[in-house]
Amino acid sequence: MSSRRHFLQVGITASALPFALTNLQAALPQASAEAAAPVNEPAARIFYKVIVDERIPESLRFGQHMREMGSDVHAIRGDITDLWFHDLSAQWKREPVAIAGLTEHGPLFCLERLAWDHRMRVVFRAEHRLDADCVLHEVSGPEAVIQRVPDLGSAGVAWTTQAARLVSRCHDGRPPAAVARAVTRVAHSGDREPLLSWVIAPRA
Amino acid sequence: MAVPPGVNAKVFAQAVREFEAAVGKEWVFTSDEDVALYRDAYSVLWGEPEERLASAAVAPDRLEQVQQVVKIANAHKIPIYPVSTGRNLGYGGSAPNYSGSVVLDLKRMNRILEVNERNAWCLVEPGVSYFDLVRHIDEKGYKLWVDIPDPGWGSPIGNALDHGGGYTQPMFRNHFDSHCGMEVVLADGDVLRTGMGAMPGAKSWQEYKFGYGPWIDGMFSQSNFGVVTKMGFWLVPLPDAYLTGTVTVSKWNDLIPLVDTLNYLENSGVVNGMPGLGMPIRQGTPPDPALRGLLEAATGGDASGIDAYAARNARACWSCTVKFYGPQKAIAASWEFAKEKFAAAIPGARFEDGESYKLPLTPEQREKVHKPEFGIPSLETFSIGARSETNPTPSSGHAWFSPIIPRNGEAIFEANKVFADAARKLDLAFFGFSLPTTYWMRSFIFLFGFPVTRDAASNKKNREGFKQLVDICAQHGWGEYRTAPAYQDAVMNTYSFNNHALRRFHERVKDAVDPNGILSAGRYGIWPKHLRGTRA
Repeated sequence: MSSRRHFLQVGITASALPFALTNLQAALPQASAEAAAPVNEPAARIFYKVIVDERIPESLRFGQHMREMGSDVHAIRGDITDLWFHDLSAQWKREPVAIAGLTEHGPLFCLERLAWDHRMRVVFRAEHRLDADCVLHEVSGPEAVIQRVPDLGSAGVAWTTQAARLVSRCHDGRPPAAVARAVTRVAHSGDREPLLSWVIAPRA
Repeated sequence: MAVPPGVNAKVFAQAVREFEAAVGKEWVFTSDEDVALYRDAYSVLWGEPEERLASAAVAPDRLEQVQQVVKIANAHKIPIYPVSTGRNLGYGGSAPNYSGSVVLDLKRMNRILEVNERNAWCLVEPGVSYFDLVRHIDEKGYKLWVDIPDPGWGSPIGNALDHGGGYTQPMFRNHFDSHCGMEVVLADGDVLRTGMGAMPGAKSWQEYKFGYGPWIDGMFSQSNFGVVTKMGFWLVPLPDAYLTGTVTVSKWNDLIPLVDTLNYLENSGVVNGMPGLGMPIRQGTPPDPALRGLLEAATGGDASGIDAYAARNARACWSCTVKFYGPQKAIAASWEFAKEKFAAAIPGARFEDGESYKLPLTPEQREKVHKPEFGIPSLETFSIGARSETNPTPSSGHAWFSPIIPRNGEAIFEANKVFADAARKLDLAFFGFSLPTTYWMRSFIFLFGFPVTRDAASNKKNREGFKQLVDICAQHGWGEYRTAPAYQDAVMNTYSFNNHALRRFHERVKDAVDPNGILSAGRYGIWPKHLRGTRA
């Protein structure tokens, strides 16, 4: 599969003010202000559900921006069982529809496998490794979206907003065609599990 | 398109066309992306030339299509590998033992054929998941539970055939034991039904297991003698109430009477939930560094230090949580009886009442409990961060190392000494003192998750360690109950009484019922004749 991909080694490093995770409330208006979409962008994709983990501040910020762009946001606490049992399983049986999220590995691992059974696939996947003074992003997705990955590096504390923008640009169901990396200079507290932003969509 | 080994490409292409004619073109998968979905996400051979990979997949949706596919495969000698929902993570996922096999994906066969509330049984197809079955029961309002493994996204048939277990009462926890009757497609496409199902028009297929003559159901579990297309299961009548209680004991060697008393209570039916052993002396974050040496000494046979530590700190060495399902008054009395037995066997035993629920659970209670103990399927286990010093990338999974040992305290001590010695010898850093699980009534199972990474060197080291542990355990009379394909030959090699008489018998059966060796070659160490000499 990797031979089909066009690797873009972006490696953008951008400076940003250190950001304390505990200062979520103060950060939200700033992140929201930075979320204003540039002009001449195609309309954001509206997802059936955007999955966020309410234990993770970055995930909540991502969800806030996705909600502003028109998607319905569903909060979990790491476990997708209820979402699957009471909602997605029936919905995907009726009609496979696209979902997105920013979560830890576990929810995506489960949802991807459940999606396979409905002829769906992950069309965008970005791993965000939270190091002490930066976020390392490795993104695979549609080529047009990958070209915007440098925006992640320059976004500073608003990188989740940029991740939401990338996700909202994934309009089709083709497999990821390109890969890129970026680095955002922001401070984080504690040793954290990597986060993933992702899109699962019906196969094109 | 990959081609199975030893199969001519033109022959394979012809077989694929025939598969398409049998099930519909859209249900035969040959693209790289589709076939990759059958990779084992937790493969211990990930990315290596030996990784077990499928060549294609075919997904029938009814018995007749399964028969056709099997006949086509048999005619062209195409290896096929049936999976139900194909989860089975930690034990192989949906990847075949024999690379190049065509996965026979039974997920589309997802019909719940019958649920009988009155006598608490069901009859299902392989693609039915625990989620599907529980939803059906909920929608119908039946007062029944399904005994669920954890995680609960697999299929009752797949889990039972691999000898999986759950969390409610002992007669349901062992999922193969709790099945009743099966339908099987043989390698030539013939179909048989076991137990009472062998009688046309039988009225008790799911109510009496044995039918008449030799009971052959076991031949189709952990094996490759047929494709199971239907299976009956006994369900759990909704209990009236649930209760837990915990006994704690202070001295290291109290573990022996603790387990003996637990066994008495379980074997006599007083305790009927899945008990849990614990080590309260080790609790605390971070653990007291002084404990490490004391635990090592105790594991080596000198418990004086840890007993003194326990006395000095008023800590118990061991705990046992016992669980009860049944009438509220009866299980309260059972707990009182259990306390009497533990107190008589172990002076100084202390008791604490635990959870107590009148069933069914309220929505608030559902959020607090370990869901599988209440027949509720869950994926919560995937939300538990498992990152640690010894497993920095838990997202790559694990392979279960799961030896069965006798159900007594001495065996727990001995096993831990053996594991500790082996871990030092093999440079495996992740064995602290471990307690076994109690899925089965009459034996213990240790469950160690060997980390799987995306680093071939690390995986190689772990594979070698795993296989050596299999042998070390066998030298002490302990055998794995189930393992991933990469280790199935190694484990089968340890069941070697009388020059591997059991395996030789399996092979004689294999040669008789599947002479072309098309079904699941190598599964659980059973290889068809034409591949036998090429395998360990």
